[in-house]
Amino acid sequence: MLKCDALDPLVTPFIDGELPVADRRAVEDHLCACAPCHSRIAAEQAVRDLIRAQRAALCTRPAPDALHARCAELTRRPAPDEAGRPHVAPSHVAPSHVAPSHLAPSYGAGARWPTRLAPYALAASLVLVVGGAFLYQATDRSARLLAAELTADHVKCFAMNSALGTHQAPAAVERSMASTFDWRMHLPDDPASAGLELVGARPCLYAEGKIAHIMYRHDGHPVSLFMLPRTVRAEELVEVLGHEASIWCVNNRTFVLVSREPRREVQRMASFVQASMR
Amino acid sequence: MKPRQGLAQVSPAFEAEALASLDSLYRAALRLTRVPADAEDLVQETFLKAFRSVDRFEPGTNLRAWLFTILHNTARNRVRDRARDTVAIDSEIVDRAADAPPPAGARAGAAETPETLLLRETLAPELQAAIDALPDAFRQAIWLRDVEEFSYAEIAQMLSIPIGTVMSRISRGRHLLFERLKDLRPVNA
Repeated sequence: MLKCDALDPLVTPFIDGELPVADRRAVEDHLCACAPCHSRIAAEQAVRDLIRAQRAALCTRPAPDALHARCAELTRRPAPDEAGRPHVAPSHVAPSHVAPSHLAPSYGAGARWPTRLAPYALAASLVLVVGGAFLYQATDRSARLLAAELTADHVKCFAMNSALGTHQAPAAVERSMASTFDWRMHLPDDPASAGLELVGARPCLYAEGKIAHIMYRHDGHPVSLFMLPRTVRAEELVEVLGHEASIWCVNNRTFVLVSREPRREVQRMASFVQASMR
Repeated sequence: MKPRQGLAQVSPAFEAEALASLDSLYRAALRLTRVPADAEDLVQETFLKAFRSVDRFEPGTNLRAWLFTILHNTARNRVRDRARDTVAIDSEIVDRAADAPPPAGARAGAAETPETLLLRETLAPELQAAIDALPDAFRQAIWLRDVEEFSYAEIAQMLSIPIGTVMSRISRGRHLLFERLKDLRPVNA
């Protein structure tokens, strides 16, 4: 007959009905003769039976309809136009109150990219609006909360970006900034000299307005540059959520550079951008 | 022009079958992330990856298990990315805990009251809360086995761990749950 020690690795598969017949018999014989082992497996058996009995009740929570819609939309998005670089224009950011089913009008061939991007913009904006609803008042006063919200946005946009594989040319980013924010800017000419590589831009929703989000990589690590139009703030360097956020202000526009890089690197990047962006 | 892989090749039947698992993937994602917005992201990324690599799915195998594998891989990668500068979960510690003998209470306690009777009054919300309070490794194993009813081999693949470890995590998780639920019962006869 099996010894108690030999029973150990067989207990869970025995309870789950996964043992071959011969092993199963051996365990049953042992349990009949060994009260301590019998009570030892009773607890595990009871929990398993309880979960199985309550299984339906544990599975009542469905995924949100919006998630169903977004996932069903994934295969319907046509491939991006390989010839032309995508150009993110303001109309592509879905207003937060628009239901996802309204998000899939048939864009023409020239507007294929936004069709592909729209569900992501919605995903990002929904989350931001939820956060923004609580924090907008507070962030008006607190640089830390502003930095926290933008850091969350930074993480999210880069997660989306790695799924989408966006890569935009500087000219496309500049065009999009001009058309979306009426911000006629010129990106730093030689970002590589500061270890930066341009990834692309997207308009993000922050509180009640749109903000510009330009994404870079520094030695391969994500860096976000946000621009908040018509916002004035004091210059500050804030550490939040494991990231550093450098905040500065030029001509009624607030800039926030967010990255997980070391503090001195963030300061260097912020100085570089301040000095070289026109 | 180079043909794009993936999305264009997804057949309506494959898509429909995949999307039928969305609710259960979302619930598993909730157990993983504990944050609804993160769970939604995780599920969406899972489907995007699945549709993109549809040609790597072997027809005739379990599509649901394949999707759960992608979900867990994606979640693991995210945790890894996030933990770049922080202390990563030491899976060896978790496994050593899983291999440890069940607590004394589970062996000796409630000897006179059959354990099933003791737990009989447990309500679904209590059970849900107790499952959610388990350490990640045990919660995932229990959820995949007892709620989603995957085989040990499928779970081993999803969690990228040996089958023996799957069983010891399930066992340890059940014992932890038993202790927790037992303490909730007013009658400690």
